[in-house]
Amino acid sequence: MATSGLYPQTKVLSRSFDVKDGHTLAVARERGAYQALEKALKMTPAQLVDEVKKSRLRGRGGAGFPTGMKWSFVAKNTGKPTYLVLNADESEPGTFKDRYLMERDPHLVLEGCLITAWAIGASTIFVYIRGEYPRSIARMEKAMEEARAAGLVGKDILGSGFSCEAWVHPGAGAYICGEETGLLESIEGKRGHPRIKPPFPAVEGVFRCPTIINNVETLSHVPWIVLHGGDAFAKQGIAPDPANPRSNGTCGTKLMGVSGQVRTPGVWEFEPGITLRELVYGYGGGPLPGRKIKAVIPGGISMPVLLDHELDAKMGFDELVKAGSGLGTACAIVMDDSCDMVDASVNIAHFFAHESCGQCTPCREGCHWMEKVLHRIADGDGQPSDLDLLEGMFKSIEGRTICALADAAVWPVRSIVRKFRAEFLARMQPAPAPAGA
Amino acid sequence: MPTITIDGRKLEFKPGQTIIQVAQAAGIEVPHYCYHPGLSVAGNCRICMVEVEKNPRPQIACYVQAADGMVVHTQSALAREARSGTMEMLLVNHPLDCPICDQAGECKLQDYAFEFGHPTTRSPVEKTHLPKAVPFGAKIVYDAERCIKCTRCVRFTEEVTRTAELSMGQRGDHEVVIMTSKGEFATPYAMNIVDLCPVGALTSRDFRFESRVWFMDFTESVCTGCARGCNVTVGARGGRFLRMTPRENQDVNRWWMCDAGRTGYKFVNAPTRLLRPRVRAGAGAGDFREADWDEAVAAAADALRASGRGGVLADAGATLEELVAARDLAAASGKGDLRYASRVGTDGDAFLVVNEKGANQRGAEALGFARATGPAPVAVLLVERGDAVPKALRDGADPVVAFVTDAGDVPPTAQVVFPLPTWAEKDGLLVNVDGRVQPVRRSRAVGPRDLRAPTAVMEEVRLALDPTAEPRDHAGLHAALRAVPAVAALGLPDVVFAPAPTPTVAAPRSRTR
Repeated sequence: MATSGLYPQTKVLSRSFDVKDGHTLAVARERGAYQALEKALKMTPAQLVDEVKKSRLRGRGGAGFPTGMKWSFVAKNTGKPTYLVLNADESEPGTFKDRYLMERDPHLVLEGCLITAWAIGASTIFVYIRGEYPRSIARMEKAMEEARAAGLVGKDILGSGFSCEAWVHPGAGAYICGEETGLLESIEGKRGHPRIKPPFPAVEGVFRCPTIINNVETLSHVPWIVLHGGDAFAKQGIAPDPANPRSNGTCGTKLMGVSGQVRTPGVWEFEPGITLRELVYGYGGGPLPGRKIKAVIPGGISMPVLLDHELDAKMGFDELVKAGSGLGTACAIVMDDSCDMVDASVNIAHFFAHESCGQCTPCREGCHWMEKVLHRIADGDGQPSDLDLLEGMFKSIEGRTICALADAAVWPVRSIVRKFRAEFLARMQPAPAPAGA
Repeated sequence: MPTITIDGRKLEFKPGQTIIQVAQAAGIEVPHYCYHPGLSVAGNCRICMVEVEKNPRPQIACYVQAADGMVVHTQSALAREARSGTMEMLLVNHPLDCPICDQAGECKLQDYAFEFGHPTTRSPVEKTHLPKAVPFGAKIVYDAERCIKCTRCVRFTEEVTRTAELSMGQRGDHEVVIMTSKGEFATPYAMNIVDLCPVGALTSRDFRFESRVWFMDFTESVCTGCARGCNVTVGARGGRFLRMTPRENQDVNRWWMCDAGRTGYKFVNAPTRLLRPRVRAGAGAGDFREADWDEAVAAAADALRASGRGGVLADAGATLEELVAARDLAAASGKGDLRYASRVGTDGDAFLVVNEKGANQRGAEALGFARATGPAPVAVLLVERGDAVPKALRDGADPVVAFVTDAGDVPPTAQVVFPLPTWAEKDGLLVNVDGRVQPVRRSRAVGPRDLRAPTAVMEEVRLALDPTAEPRDHAGLHAALRAVPAVAALGLPDVVFAPAPTPTVAAPRSRTR
């Protein structure tokens, strides 16, 4: 594809994606792997946390929480071990960026983990990978094995005196185990039921010990930050909005993906600043021949849909919230005009109903109820009053549960019901005539 | 002390207390299903949501801790809307089978639906169907459709008994409670989950389909299955003892009781109960005829006078009042030893069950009774449970006057036999294994008609023997008990029992509809 006129790519995390055998230690080391670890082990943990704070790195799992701040919350002097957990569950539909990292540059991921472990005082790393990613599991395990043999994992890493072990823990196919506390329960061998917060994992996480849990992409940024400094990272991408003191911007680089009804789905890396339109039309190649784009969910499936005319928002945390959606995992799902939005809503509602862990009443009962009513509309048995009923459900589900799965179920469905109301009404049988008419 | 404002009331609290605890202590009702003070906080039912100022989302009162200056509204528009939203969700798939559900009448789902629910369903779709009538061991039946998945039962087996027989299975609206191991409950406390269940999902095989609860009569009493003395509520109807459930007492049984105690009431309803007094028809063993109470009292006085025998052998389940009355009656007749009999079990554990089965063994000992080591003749015999006073002991006692609950336990050589009401049919005090004095109370709806209180009968016989004696009611007997230093040292509570000593069968309470 011609790249002229396209928003430029910046390959930092993805620099070895297309390199032959980039996943092996030999090739990775030739390309500079573990230099940041060496440097980091000569820094103090506090210096590292400061550097990451300066970088304005925000969590890449979807929530965008400032990473350095999260690290600084880790409870100290508890007399208990501290754990680092890498959230590699990547269960969000339409999202496959972490998979690229683990399959194509597992040593970058591992290096990020080791530096983080040093920064937070952890001597054990659990890498929780979704069970449907057998190659990621194999590559990460192989990478750990190679690193262990090379003295990069295990006792006295690189002669620094710092010891750290790393383990892969495969998931068993539950979306909810991507939720951080559901994931922790799963590591402990329990049902993936999210925990009530507080306490947050930094205080009481896996095995009731202080735990930092970060996304794969988040920690893959750490080596670069160590080598180049937090300030350099913060200079890239979208700077914080000076008018908003709570804004943290979208700094560094970001892996972004496109899937769905486009010509060239894939994953690319940019300094944030690219618009959703440039991503979908430029890199995603735009709609299939003869089709028009109807709706796009910017990140995963858990965010509200945007219409074609709403795609000019930049792919940034704050920018997409302003546009009425959210960055999420920054992996856009595209639906064209062949897509029936009623069916799409049934599909989405079914996913969340199926994946609801069943703990909280509003989510357990509500997600299925939502699916059933949407199904009834899709089957042509709906009534206009069903849309009001759905609005009532959204209200009773959103913000009423332990974790955010219920919110994630409501947001896309509600946006579809509101933005494509005409399609829903068109699917309904004519309302019965009032009595006596 | 820090303060929190709930519904406009400024309340002091201890740091660490949750909103629901502070509210409950102040008498402010916050609805809840999954919250139980004896279990960890699950925070899953979402019915206890309240508005906490400065929080845009409603918060769960069972989990959020009170903070100084916090302002909480339990009745604001947001709180009410949150509750009614959760109620609607709970009922979307709940079967409306209240007419055949044992929980009806004491169901929190019914109560809160009435208070916060929608009068009619808005759902146009079919309910989700789940397994029904699933056996959980031999004693409990589970209905997954009625279940609201609050996990109280699961948490009970995990946290209280630590036997983990239950877990949640499946996900979403197909989530159900499952048994982790096929077959039986290992814990002897399984039936507590029936009480814990806030809805009708867990029912007891022993009680299900026996009675609508609004027709039943409830009496606060104490279980006499062993010397622990778990506080209970006796549920009865039409003369039949139907159910026993634990009653909270933090010093004795917290919220729980064992299954053996709970189902140990069967002898009360036995068809072999002794209903009428018996007097001698001839000299042969077991040669009795029925007599009315007054005739039997006179016969007992005559027989005692003729025998001149003293001494008592009492079931250690007998009340303090019965024991002191028996002691004094026997003393009015002659000299003899005071002895008790009780069963020693092997099922005692570190939780509630103790091996000492005599519910008032400690009381008997304080009153000077010693354990019976072998058969010896006595003036007065009391047998509530045949297994407490074995046949060799009770027959060997060759009693002049016997008070016996079951006709099968009547000693064949007794001169006069009176029916003995069970613990559920009489008022009295028991001393538990820790020396705690607790009252059992007469249920209006348990037992045969027209049984006289044994204390009253013994006093009548004693007066017939000794016309100078003063008749004593419960207060008089308590005074006699207090005169015994070892009993007084236990600290007898000032219990006032209902005056009428003659039990009658209560008509079922009907409710205006």
